[in-house]
Amino acid sequence: MGCPCDEKELTDKQKYKQLKEFINESKNKKGYLIPVLHMAQVIFGFLPPEVQNFVAKEMNTPVSVVTGVVTFYSYFKIFPTGRHTITICLGTACYVRGAKKIMEELEKKLGIKIGETTEDKRFSMGVQRCLGACGLAPVIMIDKDVHGRISAQKLDKILELYK
Amino acid sequence: MKNLEELKKIRDRVRKDLELRTGKHRIKIVVCLGTCGIAAGARETMNTLIDLIAKKDTPDTIVTTAGCAGFCQQEPMIQLYIEDKEPVVYGKVDQKAAEEIFEKHILKGEIVEKYLFSKGK
Amino acid sequence: MYNLRAHVLLCYGGACISSNAGSVKETMEKAIAKAGLQNEVDVVTTGCMGTCELGPIIVIYPEGVFYQKVKPEDTEEIVQEHLLKGRVVKRLFYKKPKTEEMVEMFNNIDFFKLQRKIALRNCGIINPLEIEEYIAADGYMALGKVLTEMTPQQVIEEIKKSGLRGRGGAGFPTGLKWQFTAASPGKQKYVCCNADEGDPGAFMDRSILEGDPHSVMEAMMICGYAIGADQGYIYVRAEYPLAVERLSIAIEQAKKNELLGKNILGTDFNFDIEIRMGAGAFVCGEETALMRSIEGKRGEPRPKPPYPAQKGLFECPTVLNNVETFANIPFIILNGAGDFASVGTEKSRGTKVFALAGDINNTGLIEVPIGMPLGTIIYDIGGGIPNNKKLKAVQIGGPSGGCIPADHLNVKVDYESLQELGAIMGSGGLIVMDEDTCMVDISRYFMEFIQEESCGKCTPCREGTRIMLNILERICQGKGKMEDLDTLEELSRQIKQTSLCGLGQTAPNPILATLRYFRDEYIEHIRDKKCRAGVCAELVYSPCSNECPASVNVPGYLAYTKEGNFQKALEIHLKNNPFPAVCGRVCPHQCEAKCRRNDLDSAVSIRSVKRFMADSIDGYLKCFPEKQNSNGMKVAVIGSGPSGLSNAYFLTILGYEVTVFESEAKAGGMLTYAIPSYRLPKNIVKKEIQALSLYGVKIKTNTKIGKDITIDELRKQGFKAFYVAVGAGDSIMPPIEGIDGNNRVMSGLDFLYKINNNEKIFVGQEIVVIGGGNTAIDAARTARRMGADVTIVYRRTREEMPAEIEEIKEAENEGIKIQLLQNIKSVKSNSNNKLAVEFVNMRLAEFDKSGRRRPVEIETSSFVKEVSLLILAIGQKPSLDDLFDKELVKLNRDGTICCSSHKGETMSEDIFAGGDVVTGPSTVVEAIGQAQRAAEAIDKYLSGGQEEYPWNIMDAIEVKFDPEEEPVDYERAKNILLPVEKRDSYMEVEKTWDRVTACKEADRCLRCEFKKEEEGI
Repeated sequence: MGCPCDEKELTDKQKYKQLKEFINESKNKKGYLIPVLHMAQVIFGFLPPEVQNFVAKEMNTPVSVVTGVVTFYSYFKIFPTGRHTITICLGTACYVRGAKKIMEELEKKLGIKIGETTEDKRFSMGVQRCLGACGLAPVIMIDKDVHGRISAQKLDKILELYK
Repeated sequence: MKNLEELKKIRDRVRKDLELRTGKHRIKIVVCLGTCGIAAGARETMNTLIDLIAKKDTPDTIVTTAGCAGFCQQEPMIQLYIEDKEPVVYGKVDQKAAEEIFEKHILKGEIVEKYLFSKGK
Repeated sequence: MYNLRAHVLLCYGGACISSNAGSVKETMEKAIAKAGLQNEVDVVTTGCMGTCELGPIIVIYPEGVFYQKVKPEDTEEIVQEHLLKGRVVKRLFYKKPKTEEMVEMFNNIDFFKLQRKIALRNCGIINPLEIEEYIAADGYMALGKVLTEMTPQQVIEEIKKSGLRGRGGAGFPTGLKWQFTAASPGKQKYVCCNADEGDPGAFMDRSILEGDPHSVMEAMMICGYAIGADQGYIYVRAEYPLAVERLSIAIEQAKKNELLGKNILGTDFNFDIEIRMGAGAFVCGEETALMRSIEGKRGEPRPKPPYPAQKGLFECPTVLNNVETFANIPFIILNGAGDFASVGTEKSRGTKVFALAGDINNTGLIEVPIGMPLGTIIYDIGGGIPNNKKLKAVQIGGPSGGCIPADHLNVKVDYESLQELGAIMGSGGLIVMDEDTCMVDISRYFMEFIQEESCGKCTPCREGTRIMLNILERICQGKGKMEDLDTLEELSRQIKQTSLCGLGQTAPNPILATLRYFRDEYIEHIRDKKCRAGVCAELVYSPCSNECPASVNVPGYLAYTKEGNFQKALEIHLKNNPFPAVCGRVCPHQCEAKCRRNDLDSAVSIRSVKRFMADSIDGYLKCFPEKQNSNGMKVAVIGSGPSGLSNAYFLTILGYEVTVFESEAKAGGMLTYAIPSYRLPKNIVKKEIQALSLYGVKIKTNTKIGKDITIDELRKQGFKAFYVAVGAGDSIMPPIEGIDGNNRVMSGLDFLYKINNNEKIFVGQEIVVIGGGNTAIDAARTARRMGADVTIVYRRTREEMPAEIEEIKEAENEGIKIQLLQNIKSVKSNSNNKLAVEFVNMRLAEFDKSGRRRPVEIETSSFVKEVSLLILAIGQKPSLDDLFDKELVKLNRDGTICCSSHKGETMSEDIFAGGDVVTGPSTVVEAIGQAQRAAEAIDKYLSGGQEEYPWNIMDAIEVKFDPEEEPVDYERAKNILLPVEKRDSYMEVEKTWDRVTACKEADRCLRCEFKKEEEGI
């Protein structure tokens, strides 16, 4: 997921400031840890230990609780990801319609496995258990765009769209 | 909004628009919009009818369009389909004629003989 | 203000957006402005219309004309033609699958016609980003009604009366849930909406949130009023960014209009809604885990009770319903519980939304009355299975559900009926699987899913599923053991009983369901190392060879043919199948249906290459495999059809001395006496049988076992084993009057036998053939060659005709009429010395066990026709007559021989059987495959068996192949057919290709077997 203010890369200081503001806004809402982590991931791109510590401190929560939550949910990343995230849908409909072949083809094309990032940091690749676009199976999602009726032949053209 | 009445007001204001999509109509007016029809003024006829529907608040009536019917000298032509009645075709329907047909046939159910082209299928 | 005359509705559901609906909107608006219609015509973006496969979709109202797959460049034409001139743009109409018939109106498309929309009532009609459109569609009126006219208890009563049950999976009555929560003590209560739609294959919640978010919010408020809550949470997946966005906009708009907040609609009711995003944990769909996740904790489930109604979110009483359940609520309040309850079945009221996906023509979202037969959903709404493939199973209920095999298409889709079959309604994902789906692999897939999503809290779920996954992986690799199946069942039982939450308790369901309905496939993987769907890579040499019942090395002989080495090609073929010239003519070539080249352009014409290869070599003798050392043992084969002769041949390879006994004057069985010579010339049959004789197979014709000599006598002569392959030569006759002894009525087989035996038959001018199989077509085309007017009458539709499509097409080309949905009722002889045949019209009713619709007579629709000859070809069964004593073999009810194994063993240890006498009428290549397996069984019985049989070893193909090279780019070569006007004799209709055509066609093969050799598997 990209940063909401993509044009200019923020300094770390600005990023922490942004996150702090968000935490302050929502402090009195109940059970707000997960929304805060979502926002932190939007701002930082991933959730390294420093960010987890910061969240814990600002929210008056033990770090162990924050880390426990971060590691429980697959959506939260603790390693940096590429500029674009490719998510291959491995839901049943996509699986039946050949998603495995697409996955193998992508692994071949990008030279990385699921969960890895290309050396030039252009793409990270992951899988999802259904993106809810079963009508167009097989599908992949790149960042927020869903691409349907994928075939091995179409991949090059689609990847071209993401520099 | 402060109460249910205000909500109903909004509903009634926008509902008419939505009724175009719900597909429940008693009367359908088909305007022939072929090249000849348009040249003969069918667009004006159509707009007159649409305005009349709004003005007289008859949401069970819709206007749709069709291509050339083949009787170019009779243009503008309109076909009138009223539920459970034989379809009626009128010829040379200019704006004035449209008003008359709307007044007599659509609102009161009387066929306007002077513009009548044909009856039945 | 202007009065609009037309609305252009553009589906802006997730699927259509990803199919480029955005650009369509842009160009459409431009084109409208350019035509000056912006004051007459409005473009409205709506939520999902349901037909995701056809997107982008446009519906133009008031007429309701439906345009599909609209490209940005089409919009100009739609505006110029449809909106400006009133001429519909036909080329963008929806075309019915199979018939290609074009449909103009939205409401005439079967997909929409059979639906009943309650939860989806606004989806695809209103613009979800405009609260006023929702209000115009009576939005928030239900809220107004409950706040001003009803007490909380009355609301609960109304919901209870409606019979609404939770649409998220388990089907708990919604009214009761509300009642319990309302009755729980506590000042603070919550309403939660479960939008963590995680079941793969279900996307209705996403579509509702994207297409009609206000309906869910309104329902949550109604619920809040009923139970006394002032705060709602919508827990939605982070993977649904569009849903989150539209929901946020909807909440904003509701707040702005004071429909959320304090003193709603001037009453003292307060309510607020917050969105909480999930973070990619499937288990959070479970209610207790979901609430923990909202609380900001790890989403691990906890034991129940206490139920959420007592202690839910933040320890307060909480109602948790899913999106679709909520979407029904405003309708119930406004239209009354009775209206809602009048839809559906006794125990399951209302409608259910299903997501149709997988191998089905119309994928998308549908809403139907609960209790609709599954077959109606798949075939009438879903448009059936693409690419002429067969339906295998329907997976329903996601990873907690099960699959329903094709023979249960008549099941009513409701909570209880599905449960009886081992599936569940679940959230409503219906994934259609065709014949190319491996059910073991699907089980493995679901286990992998569960394994990954298990939260790890309970050992049975965490470890048990891992062990099950390991076993399933082993089976898929061909390393399974028979005991594995018992282990899987035992583990399933334990995990179900001992897991804490729904995820674990239902995790084994997909495995149990496939073990129940597709045990054969598991056994094939384990015992025969075979994956019939061609999915499990380790077990599949190439898709074509995998599909061939005789396992012929197809890439092998194609590769050598391409090189011009026809002798080597033939050698490879003969190892598995001694009838290349016959099969090159009459094989239904299932291999081609599986050819990977289908994905590129079209399949390699395998049959035609085979035919050329076989015809190019006169004497096969030098191409047969070398015989193993003679063991001196004698085997008798009874019946000289393809199965009998092949079995004799395979045993000859193994060193046995085999004699084939044939009751007729000529060998060949159906090849000689049934298949007409315009399709299979007799000299071709003779050539291949002669080759077998030369190789060493002895054939004794005019010898009927049981009459001329008995099995006991043969035993005394030293025959150690018997292979019974007498075919299915008895015709089944319908139980109607006037057939018996009538010389103007004959069976299809009888007719073909007489023609092939050069007997004279009077046919007259008007011949009617009853039946839809290959025998019916053979008889009809033969009769046509005798100059008669021929009509084929079949009781179902063309799609159900068992005959090969090409044969049906040629029959019609030759001037044969095909009357569908008709049957005969009675036969009388009339005064003109003809038959007065009474026919009746049929219609298709519910689905039967064969997965087809059952034909039933339409009363009072009968009519009489004069016919000179009536040929009945409705079915065949074995004729065992006095072949042997009843004690020797057991027969099935349909007269076929009952075998104790797939290798043709019978209850007598020295008697084996195969071919049509076991399977009922089938194909030549199937009969050959059975002969192979029976040869193995006979060898095992007589000599203890061999480790590998020659026909099971795929020889390395020594033809250069570079996988990196682009495949040749030309299309499949056409078959050369005799022009129809020249088909007045029995001259063969199809011609053998020339050398260049055949070699070029063989070169189209993609060599799917190649990779494996390289890896050394």
